Amino acid sequence: MSTQPTPFDSTLQALGLLLPSVVVLGAFLYYPGLETFRLSLYRTLFLGQQTAWVGAENFVQLLTSTAYHHSFAISVLFAAIVVTGTLLLSIAVGYLLFTVSVGSSAYLIAAIWPYALPPAVAAILLNFILHPNLGVFTHYLEAVTPFTLDWFNSGPQAFTVVAVVAIWKQLGYNIIFVVAAFNTIPKTLTERATLDGVGHLRRLRSVYLPLMAPTLVFLTVMNTIYAFFSTFPIVDLLTSGGPGDATNLLIFKLYRDAFEFNSLGLASAESVILFALVAVLMYVQIRVSEGYAQYGA
Amino acid sequence: MSTITLTDLTKHYDSIAAVDGIDLDVLDEEFLVVVGPSGCGKSTTLRLIAGLEDATAGTIRIGGTDVTDSPPEDRDIAMVFQNYALYPHMTAAENMTFGMQSVTDYSSAEIEDRVADAAATLGITELLDRTPDALSGGERQRVAIGRALVREPSVFLLDEPLSNLDAKLRVHMRAELSKLHRELDTTTVYVTHDQTEAMTLGDRVAVLNDGTVQQVAPPQQLYDFPANQFVAGFIGEPAMNLVPVRVRDRPRGLVADHEGFAHPLPDGGSNSALVDRRLTFGVRPEDVLLAGRSATGHEESFEARVTVREPLGEQLLLHCTIGDDELQVKVQPRRDVSTGDTIRLCFDQQRLHLFDPETGDAIYHAASEDQPAKPTPSQ
Repeated sequence: MSTQPTPFDSTLQALGLLLPSVVVLGAFLYYPGLETFRLSLYRTLFLGQQTAWVGAENFVQLLTSTAYHHSFAISVLFAAIVVTGTLLLSIAVGYLLFTVSVGSSAYLIAAIWPYALPPAVAAILLNFILHPNLGVFTHYLEAVTPFTLDWFNSGPQAFTVVAVVAIWKQLGYNIIFVVAAFNTIPKTLTERATLDGVGHLRRLRSVYLPLMAPTLVFLTVMNTIYAFFSTFPIVDLLTSGGPGDATNLLIFKLYRDAFEFNSLGLASAESVILFALVAVLMYVQIRVSEGYAQYGA
Repeated sequence: MSTITLTDLTKHYDSIAAVDGIDLDVLDEEFLVVVGPSGCGKSTTLRLIAGLEDATAGTIRIGGTDVTDSPPEDRDIAMVFQNYALYPHMTAAENMTFGMQSVTDYSSAEIEDRVADAAATLGITELLDRTPDALSGGERQRVAIGRALVREPSVFLLDEPLSNLDAKLRVHMRAELSKLHRELDTTTVYVTHDQTEAMTLGDRVAVLNDGTVQQVAPPQQLYDFPANQFVAGFIGEPAMNLVPVRVRDRPRGLVADHEGFAHPLPDGGSNSALVDRRLTFGVRPEDVLLAGRSATGHEESFEARVTVREPLGEQLLLHCTIGDDELQVKVQPRRDVSTGDTIRLCFDQQRLHLFDPETGDAIYHAASEDQPAKPTPSQ
């Protein structure tokens, strides 16, 4: 047993070094988080200037609201589409990037570039491309196919557009990890598969994906968090939750309830439910995947 | 019939020639070992045969068929990798069958039979349900070999298969491989940097350097009659002593003249082409003998000073200086010789070599190749 050198002289010094992080985390993460839990049990007026204890009334109101049920359902569907769509596409693109022998870094940069855009810029950019009247994509789609793109008025189309943009935005992040995971696969395993004459699809399914499982679990969790929490700007800039309630995802609805309808207490309750939902999903994902993912060795 | 014929095989990486025009014939059922220092092109040659690399020029024939442009799976070969290349998420049995299911039309019963046979041959039957992380290095290597066996290929290719094993296990697996080859008689190409493996396993050994074949010969012939200075220095541990000499014509025959000794060259009398040339004189450490006291004054013995004494247990290795050159000498382990002593040495008459210092080619061996060198007389 070797003794580790201590990087600090005294406990006091250690606490001093920790203090900045603790202050920042406390002020901007734990305090607001706890405040949200507290507020979810109150009714508020004037941006929370006046509060009145209502107990579980906010939660009861949410659980009996059809609008909230709808929002909850489309959010779960949206997350399922975004998580699987992003994973499947990034595996497909990542495998092509891994297999290509010429100019792979140029392709890689092209593939991950959307991730470098701020979500708001990405949303505006795709708004131009997919705009029902002005969009380049829309123009050719309508010229070539009988299909009409009218997502300003069609709920399902709006939902699809938001999901496509959300997947597009998150692809780069996934591709970075997927390509990195492909590259950690020992070269001799690829060579052995080549010698055995194992085809590309079977090689991907039976050799590569099982070896990449830890990365795929990580990406599933990250994509879930992304789909529930980080898609606000896309909804806000593309559809504002509409048409009707078609794209009124939980994260967008709670923002509107808080800052447009001034129901901070109700929005806090929504926030708490969303937090619990994602926490449970992550727990399930990690537990389920434990049986499949090969860590180490 | 599974011969392998390489003709003018060349592989360039950018401007660097990793394999530079190799001509090599592997006979049917032969165990050919390819040996050489790091970067000599031996692994590249094996990968070219396997089809993992594309040849820049030249042809590869397996069993008479030109396979130079065939994909690996059409070459009827099986390869064993240095790091075993086992899929970590599959059991040993799955690892052995995975390749077969993808290309062949074997029934699963037949595959199972073959796995059972291979496992019995290698003594890994009880390990078949384990994943690689539950296997030791030697067991993993057995599974990797078993994987090659179940395919019943016409050619086995082994790329340094024992390098990742510890010394004791390596000796054990070496013997197993030898036994296995005797049972199966499959044409085998075995790449290694370890000359002990080369000498012990090979029916013949091909020595490679700088992407070219230096010599292909049975192990003992390679040792006794190195074709050039590289082979002489590479095969044998410690390496053959190489010192500059000048050949002189003396009344009793040709003599290799060094500032520390002047030694007659047996049967060299007829070879007038050697006279007066500056050549490299080669003699293996075990062919330098301690001259007995009675030999003092004998014209063929000479004096040398011991500078380093290395007891190896079964032998004693002495580093001696003669003139400006160093000579390594293997003597019996319990000889009473210490550093700084002056000793008298002589050479085994039958085990002397001369090399051209410019080309490195061997131009004289004391023994003739039809009647191999006599056993070294005990010291």
